[in-house]
Amino acid sequence: MSTTPPAPERPLPTPTRDSRAYWDGMKEGKFRLQYCSSCGKVRHYPRPVCPHCFSMESEFRDAPTGGAIHAWTVCHHPFNFSFKASAPYIVALVDMDAGVRVNATLKGIAEADIKIGKRVRLGFEAATKEVTLPCFVAE
Amino acid sequence: MAKLRGKAAVSGIGETAYTRGTTKSGLALQLEASLKAIDDAGIDPRDIDGCIPYFPGAGIAEDFIANLGIKDLTLSAFIPMGGATCVAALQTAAMAVATGVCKHVLISVGRTGYSGARVSTRLQQFPQFALAAEFEAPIGMFAPAQLYAQGARRHMELYGTTERHLAEIAVTTRKHAILNGNVVMNKPLTVEEHHASRMISDPFRLFDCSLESDGGAAVIVTAADRAKDLKKPVVSILGVAEGHPESPASIAQRPDLLEFGLVKAAARAFTIAGVGPQDMDVAQIYDCFTFTVIRQLEILGFCRTGEGGPFIMDGRIGLGGELPINTHGGLLSQGHVVGLNHVIELTRQLRGEGGKAQVKEAELGLVTGYGDMGDGSLAIMARGAA
Repeated sequence: MSTTPPAPERPLPTPTRDSRAYWDGMKEGKFRLQYCSSCGKVRHYPRPVCPHCFSMESEFRDAPTGGAIHAWTVCHHPFNFSFKASAPYIVALVDMDAGVRVNATLKGIAEADIKIGKRVRLGFEAATKEVTLPCFVAE
Repeated sequence: MAKLRGKAAVSGIGETAYTRGTTKSGLALQLEASLKAIDDAGIDPRDIDGCIPYFPGAGIAEDFIANLGIKDLTLSAFIPMGGATCVAALQTAAMAVATGVCKHVLISVGRTGYSGARVSTRLQQFPQFALAAEFEAPIGMFAPAQLYAQGARRHMELYGTTERHLAEIAVTTRKHAILNGNVVMNKPLTVEEHHASRMISDPFRLFDCSLESDGGAAVIVTAADRAKDLKKPVVSILGVAEGHPESPASIAQRPDLLEFGLVKAAARAFTIAGVGPQDMDVAQIYDCFTFTVIRQLEILGFCRTGEGGPFIMDGRIGLGGELPINTHGGLLSQGHVVGLNHVIELTRQLRGEGGKAQVKEAELGLVTGYGDMGDGSLAIMARGAA
C-alpha cells in the first residue's frame, strides 16, 4: 500500500453556467466580457443579475485588451506546489480600458520597471488543452 | 441605532495554550477554551443557550449540545466573515441577549492551523472564496498574503508607506507578546531581522504575516444587567457593528482596494457608543498582516489616509505610548485564533487583568475584525456598566 500523497494539481477554473462564456472566449483568444442587455453596463466577474438595473438578460462581447497597472505583487512563496517552478512571479492588477479589472501574471516586464499607470495588454496563455488563462504583456 | 449601547457585556473569557504542534483536535481545543470561559464567568456549562462557533471551523452547535449537556439552545448561528467574524459575532450575541432570546452566548474558535490543514488549502473550501478560486487561484493567487499584498503595495506607492513602517508593527507586537507569555513567538525581534526575513509576497515578508498556529479561544456574552451578578468585573459593549465592502468576494474588482468594510462598521459603532477614537486608552487591531494594522488605524480615524505609516512610529503604539495596540502579541506573535484573542485581551485590559502588559487606567478600548477579502467589524468596550 503506497503512502505517497497524490501529486498536487494545478488549480484551474471550474466554469459555471454564469461564467462559461468568459472562459470559452479565453480559449478562443478573445477577451469576452458580460454586458447587460438592458442598460449596457459591463460587469465582471460574471454573475446573473446586473447590479445597476437588475436585469437578468446579458450578452458576452469582445472587449478591448489594453489597460493600466493599478497594483501588483511579486509572489516569492508559491503556497501551491504547482507554482514552485515559476516563483517568483509577478501578478498585476490592471484597470482595463473595458471598465473592469483583471488580475493576471505579468510577463516580460522587470519588477523595477513596474509603476502604477503603466500600460499593458492582455494576452492569452494555454494552461491545458481545455483552459486558457489571461496574462499581461507590454503594450 | 444606539439601542444596543451598553446592553451587553463580555462576562467570560478563556483560551488554551497557543502552540505550533498539538495532538488535540480543533474541536477539543474549542471546547477546552469554552470550559475555561464558562468557569471565568462563574456559570454552569448548561447555562449556555446561544452558540456562535467560528465557521468554517471545528465545532458546530450540535457539538456543544452534546459535550456541554445544553438542554435548550435558543440560538445557533454562523457568521461567515473570515477574520471579521469574532467581533461581528459580538454584535449578533449582543442583539440576542439584549432582546432576551439568550442569556449567555458562547463565541468560540478551535484551530489546528499549524498541525492541520494549512492556509492555502483551507481557504479554497470557503464558499465566500468561490470567485477567488475560479478567477485568481489559477493565476497563482491563493493565500491572503498574496491577495492583500496588492493593496499594501498601492498604499506604499501612493503615500510613501515603507518597509520600516511595516517592521514597526511586527517589532512592537513582538515586545508585547513576550510580556504575555502564552505566545508562539517568545523571542525578541529587531527591525533588521524583520528586513532580513524572506519575502513571501511583496511587500509582505515572513514577519509581516500572521502565524499559522494551533489553539482555542472563547468568550461569553451576557446581558449587562445579568453580568453584574457574575464572578468577574463587568466589561460592557458600548458599541458594536459589522460592515461589508463593495465587491465583497473579490478585492480585484473593488473600486478602492483600501476601502475595507471597517469604514462602514466604524461609523456605526462610534455613533452607537457615543465616543470617538480620541477617547480610546487601548486598541486591539486585527493583524493578519502588519500593513492591515496601519490601514485600519487610518480608517478608524486615529490619523488621516496615507498618514498611518508615520503615525505608528516613535513608540506611539507601544506600552506607555499614546495608543498601545495589540498588547497580547496579536495574530503576528501570540497565535491565530481569528482575532478572538483580541477580544479576550481587550476584556483583560479593561478588567485590569493585563499583567505585565497592563495599560494604566485603561477604561475604554476598541477591538477590530478584518477578513474574508475585506469585511470589517468593530467593538468599543468599557470598564463597568454603561
